[in-house]
Amino acid sequence: MEAGLRTELAGIRMQNPVMVCSGTWGNGREYAEWIDPGALGGIITKSVTLRPCPGNPPPRIWETPSGMLNSIGLENRGLAAFLEEDLPWIAGFGVPVFVNVAGFSEEEYAEVAAEVCASGLAAAVELNISCPNVKKGGLHFSSSHEDAARMVSRVRERADLPVFVKLSPRLNDLKGMCAAVARAGADGLSLVNTIPAMSIDVERAVPRLGNVTGGLSGPAMHPVAVLAVWEAYQSVGIPIVGMGGIWGWEDAVEMIMAGATAVAVGTVNFVDPGAPLAVVEGIRGFMTRKGVARVGELVGLAHRGGFRDEGKGRAPGSG
Amino acid sequence: MPAGYVAQIVEKNVFGCATELVLDLPRGFEAHPGQFLHVRCGGDGRILRRPFSLTVSQRGELALLVRPAGEGSRWLCARRVGEELDFLGPLGRGFSILDAGEHVLVAGGAGIAPLRFLALDMRKRKLRPSLCWGMENEEDYGTLPEILAGECDLSLATRDGSAGFEGTALDLLFSQARTESAAIYACGPRDMLSGMARWLGEAGRERAQVSVEERMACGVGACRGCAVPVTDAGATYAAACREGPVFFARELDWERM
Ligand SMILES: Cc1cc2nc3c(=O)[nH]c(=O)nc-3n(C[C@H](O)[C@H](O)[C@H](O)COP(=O)(O)OP(=O)(O)OC[C@H]3O[C@@H](n4cnc5c(N)ncnc54)[C@H](O)[C@@H]3O)c2cc1C
Ligand SMILES: Cc1cc2nc3c(=O)[nH]c(=O)nc-3n(C[C@H](O)[C@H](O)[C@H](O)COP(=O)(O)O)c2cc1C
Ligand code: FES
Repeated sequence: MEAGLRTELAGIRMQNPVMVCSGTWGNGREYAEWIDPGALGGIITKSVTLRPCPGNPPPRIWETPSGMLNSIGLENRGLAAFLEEDLPWIAGFGVPVFVNVAGFSEEEYAEVAAEVCASGLAAAVELNISCPNVKKGGLHFSSSHEDAARMVSRVRERADLPVFVKLSPRLNDLKGMCAAVARAGADGLSLVNTIPAMSIDVERAVPRLGNVTGGLSGPAMHPVAVLAVWEAYQSVGIPIVGMGGIWGWEDAVEMIMAGATAVAVGTVNFVDPGAPLAVVEGIRGFMTRKGVARVGELVGLAHRGGFRDEGKGRAPGSG
Repeated sequence: MPAGYVAQIVEKNVFGCATELVLDLPRGFEAHPGQFLHVRCGGDGRILRRPFSLTVSQRGELALLVRPAGEGSRWLCARRVGEELDFLGPLGRGFSILDAGEHVLVAGGAGIAPLRFLALDMRKRKLRPSLCWGMENEEDYGTLPEILAGECDLSLATRDGSAGFEGTALDLLFSQARTESAAIYACGPRDMLSGMARWLGEAGRERAQVSVEERMACGVGACRGCAVPVTDAGATYAAACREGPVFFARELDWERM
């Protein structure tokens, strides 16, 4: 069955379709104490910026019903430290590393992407143009299709690896945006980043987060993410990495059926470090039960009328 | 090594406002005072784990001492003997026992939990720490002070003066005579810790360790959600869960706390 989990994403070969989301897995060291990073489909690293970034003032997190808000604000040690210490280490596990890139200007994104590609250690670049937690940059770069497309082509000129564009679900016209970045040269989409959100402490009448606003992640946002993947799949042909509130294998399979070629799990890592591998096992079990030979057959299946072949609805254990 | 565990509650004691849950931990489970467990606290839409310091029971077994602050901690207090808890741990950096002539522990509220564990470690090294512990009122303590009095030199404070000194644990600390070189170990609300840091001055902050409480998501240093401001040129943050929760008072930027 191992062959059945293999997949390919913009030419990148993966042993299974399950990755970990940017910013929810540090740069791997913390969770390498808990699971074998080499068993993942791929690793998406924490957003890296050209210069070190201290991040936002605390409090940075707040739990909401079945979800959480965060306003980390791109805290990272900067590109030089990342290239020297983090990337070589995380690349040593032999699974594709997608380096998530952020910045405060188009030049910065392009510069960071170029250096990441030049390192020879990354498999792809994921452009974070949807961070709700920084005042300059972040979401600002996807405020219009033109801005986003210009950013993508600037990066595309300097990057010789596949470029994935990570988008927010809070866009007026997600389909139009997907089409615009695809035309500008994006090789894939990462859907979605957290949803801009906030919470107020009514006893004190002040916002809960030091940064006032944050981003919502976790099960509460999952259906929003499924819709985004669904719409993107209808509008563009480039592959999609689905993410947002994946808590178990069913959520992952749902994303895949909505059109994602691969998935990434985020917030659930905080609760259960073993979750990404449990998702892999769950997908494997589901495929066996349904008699699905290759995970690729599930991609976008819900757009094609679902399981129709009688033979694919067999009873548990019979595969 | 930290790991994920499911451990049975083998004993439950209620001390005033706090509930002690003694855990049946696997052989070889080793922890230091100041380290914590990241505990699943039921469902109802609560997805994140909650951090609780490791403490010890009267017999020296590892335990939690939980004071209800919200839904998750209330759920924990309602667990019964025989039920199981799901946690990650032990996590974080604990206290270091300094080479000092005098060891003073300062606890506010449930901050007593890690300090009771620390006091046990000190006794094993033939040290006799003194402990200042503050609560709102007498009922909050229950019978725990009677037990603790056998474990260290204990003095109590209550805001309403119903037991011990009238005021906070900090007021109590200020009221007592100390040698210059005393080592201080504190755990309690943010106000208490920053009040203490101001009072100590630069030299005192070298010899004082504090366990900070910050909201946590991952508990292992991966999400950067539990940031506390540190004193370095870049005005950066440390992760309370991994680089802490115990810090030397001099490591933290109290102006930005
Ligand atoms: C390292 C560490 C060790 C701790 N040890 C103990 C302990 O031994 N015994 C104990 O009773 N409590 C301890 N706490 C505090 C405990 O984690 C919180 O009371 C608990 O998470 C609250 O969860 P809840 O669902 O009950 O409340 P919520 O509804 O989430 O919150 C209720 C109130 O508690 C505050 N709060 C929530 N999370 C935290 C937090 N992580 N730290 C401080 N305040 C918080 C909220 O701001 C709110 O005012 C510790 C916290 C940390 C960070
Ligand atoms: C604490 C935290 C930090 C995050 N940091 C980043 C980041 O640095 N860059 C980024 O592109 N997305 C970041 N994200 C968003 C996640 O990568 C992901 O898109 C989102 O959380 C939805 O997935 P989830 O619900 O499974 O967590 C972060 C999310 C969380 C919860
Ligand atoms: S709680 Fe995630 S870094 Fe501390």
